[in-house]
Amino acid sequence: MVGVGIEIEKLCVGYDKTRVLHDIDLEINSSEFVALLGSSGCGKTTLLKSLSGFIKPMSGEIRVNGSNVAQLPPDQRNMAMVFQSYALWPHMTVRQNIGYGLKLRGMAKEQINRKVDELLVLLGLADFGDRKVPNLSGGQRQRVALGRALAVDSPILLLDEPLSNLDARIRLSMRHEIRSLQQRMGLTAVHVTHDREEAMVMADRIVILNGGHIAQVGTPLEVYEQPKSNFVATFMGAENEISLTVERANGTLSIAEQEAVKAASLSVSNEIGDGGVNWQATTAGSALGRFRSSAAHLRADETVPEGHLALAGRVTQLSYPGGVFRYEIESAGQLYMIDDPCRYAVGDVVTICVPAGGLHLYSEAA
Amino acid sequence: MSGQSMSVGPGRTGALLLVAPALLMIGFLFVYPFGYSVVSAFTDNGEGSWHIANFTKAIEFYSKDILFTIVIVSLSTAIIGILAVAIAGYLTLGENPTAVAILKWLYRWPLFIPFIVSAQLMRTFLAKNGMMNNILTSSGIIEPLAAQSYLDWRGIVITFVWKQTPFVALLVAGAMASIDRTTIDAGRIFGASRLRILIELVVPQIATTLMVGLILSYVVMLSVLSVPLMINAQSPTMLTVDMAWRINSYGDYGVANALGIMSYLFTGVVAWFYLRQSLKDKGA
Repeated sequence: MVGVGIEIEKLCVGYDKTRVLHDIDLEINSSEFVALLGSSGCGKTTLLKSLSGFIKPMSGEIRVNGSNVAQLPPDQRNMAMVFQSYALWPHMTVRQNIGYGLKLRGMAKEQINRKVDELLVLLGLADFGDRKVPNLSGGQRQRVALGRALAVDSPILLLDEPLSNLDARIRLSMRHEIRSLQQRMGLTAVHVTHDREEAMVMADRIVILNGGHIAQVGTPLEVYEQPKSNFVATFMGAENEISLTVERANGTLSIAEQEAVKAASLSVSNEIGDGGVNWQATTAGSALGRFRSSAAHLRADETVPEGHLALAGRVTQLSYPGGVFRYEIESAGQLYMIDDPCRYAVGDVVTICVPAGGLHLYSEAA
Repeated sequence: MSGQSMSVGPGRTGALLLVAPALLMIGFLFVYPFGYSVVSAFTDNGEGSWHIANFTKAIEFYSKDILFTIVIVSLSTAIIGILAVAIAGYLTLGENPTAVAILKWLYRWPLFIPFIVSAQLMRTFLAKNGMMNNILTSSGIIEPLAAQSYLDWRGIVITFVWKQTPFVALLVAGAMASIDRTTIDAGRIFGASRLRILIELVVPQIATTLMVGLILSYVVMLSVLSVPLMINAQSPTMLTVDMAWRINSYGDYGVANALGIMSYLFTGVVAWFYLRQSLKDKGA
C-alpha cells in the first residue's frame, strides 16, 4: 500500500467553547513522514485526533486523496494508528491483536495467518505470537501495536507519541525501525511527539505547533538552522538569550558595543549553511539574539575570531554531561549555558564566542 | 526483621481480640445455624441416626419446583446479563450525550426498591387488568379479549430482571468506565462497529466483573421469597416458597433444610465456576 496525500485547510478544533486549533493549513505529501512537534497543550494531539476522526472539527477541511473526510467517523477514514499507551487488547494474544483489523475486513483465516506470520517475523516477534499482551515487555508491546497498524495496509499511519513509554535504549532503535518500515512501505506517516531529537531523526518535515497555531513547517535542517521565530528558536534549543542593538546594511550586520559585548560585524545568512546570522527581525535597532550552548565556545583571553559575537563573562558553575563540559557563565547580569571541551574553573574570566552561523536574531517583541 | 518477629506475640493477641467480636458473630449467626441445618437435613431435627430421607422426600415432592427454580433463576440471570451489558455498553459507547444522560439517570431507580415492593408493583402492572394490558389495549396494540395475566413464571422473571439488572449494570458500567479508553478507540479506527467493539473488545475486558455481578444476582434471586409468593400463587413454584410452607404448615425443618442445602449446591456450582475462572485468569 502506497501512501496518499493529506491536505488540511483552515481547520479549527475545540472542546466545548474552548478553541484548541486555529485555522490550521498544512499539506502532507504522499509517502511523507511528518512530525507534529510542540510542548504540552500546544494542540498536536488534538490535530492528530482530528485527522483520525476522534474529534470532529468546528470548521475547515481535511482532504485525503482529494475528498473531505473531516466529518467522517474514524472507521471510515482508512487510517491506522499507534497509540501512546499502545491500546492493545489485553484479552487477546499477539497474533489476535495483529490480525483483528484483518478479521474486521472479512479476510479469510488462512490469509490472516499468513499476513500475521509475515509481520511477526518482520517485527522480531516470531516467538511471541501466542502470548497474551500482559506478558510482553514495553518494547514488545510497542512492536505489536505497530504490527497491528501495519497489518491493515492503510495508506496513512498515525503515531501518537508511540515511543514515549519506552526506555531510552529501545526508543533509539525503535525510531529507526519505524522510519525504515515507513520508507519501505511508502506510507504517509503523521507522528506526534514532544521530543525534538525524535522528530529530527524520524521526519521528512517537522510541524512546530504553539498555542494552537503552526509556528513553523520545514525540514529538520530548516527548523534547526533557521528557526523563524523566537519561540521556535527556543523550542529547538537556542536557549541563550541576549538583547542587542543592531544595524543592517548590504548583507552585513553591525552589532553595537554594549556592556560586556564587543562591537562586531557579522554576515547575514542567505541560505542554510553559509555561516551567516539567521536574521528574522523585521527592523534594525533593538533585537533579541538567541544561540545554542553547543554553537558557542569559550576563550581564556579577549581575542575574538573574526565573524563572532563576543561576550565577556565569568564561569559560575560547571558540569560534565559527557563529551564536553557545560559551563554556566555570568555576563552583564545574564546567565548563559555554554558547552566547551576545554577545562575552566569556577571564577575564571572567559570570553563567550558565538559564530555568526550560530546566532539567530528576532525583533524584541517576536 | 528480628525486632518485628519479637513483637508478633502481643500483636497477634491484640489482633485476635480485635476480630473476636466479628468472629463470634459469624460463628453464632452463620456457622452454627448453617451447621445445624446441615445436620438437621441428614437426621430427624438433629436427633437420631443419619439418613437421606429428607432429601428423598424433597425430591419426591418438589422435583418440579427444583427444576422450575433453576430454570427461572438461570433464565433471569441470562437476561440480566444481556440487559446489563446493553445498558452499560450504551453508557460507555453511546454518542448521543442526552440519551446517555437520561439512561444514566433512569436505570438505577429499581436498585432502591425492595423486592417485596417490586413484587407488589409488578402485580398491579402485569395482572390481566393491570397497567400493562390497559396501555396495550387502549393504544390498540392488542384486543381487550386477548389480554392475559403475566402473573406466573414470566412475572417472576420480569420482576427479577427489573430489580437486578440495575445492580449488575452499575457494576459493569463502572468496570467499563475504568478500562483504557484507547482500546475502544483502537477498535474504532480499525473499523469495528459499536456492537463488535462491545462484544469483542469491551465485554472480555470486564468479564470478571460481569460474572461477579451475575453470581451475586443469582444467589440473591435463589433466596427471594416475596416475589414468587406474590407473583406466582400456583404450582410449580420456587424452592423458597416450599421451604416456608414446610416450616410454617408442617414444622418440617428436615425437608426445609434439605431444600436449603440444594439451594446451597446450586450456588456452589456457580461459585466453583467463578473461582476456577479467576484462578485461571491469575495464572495467565
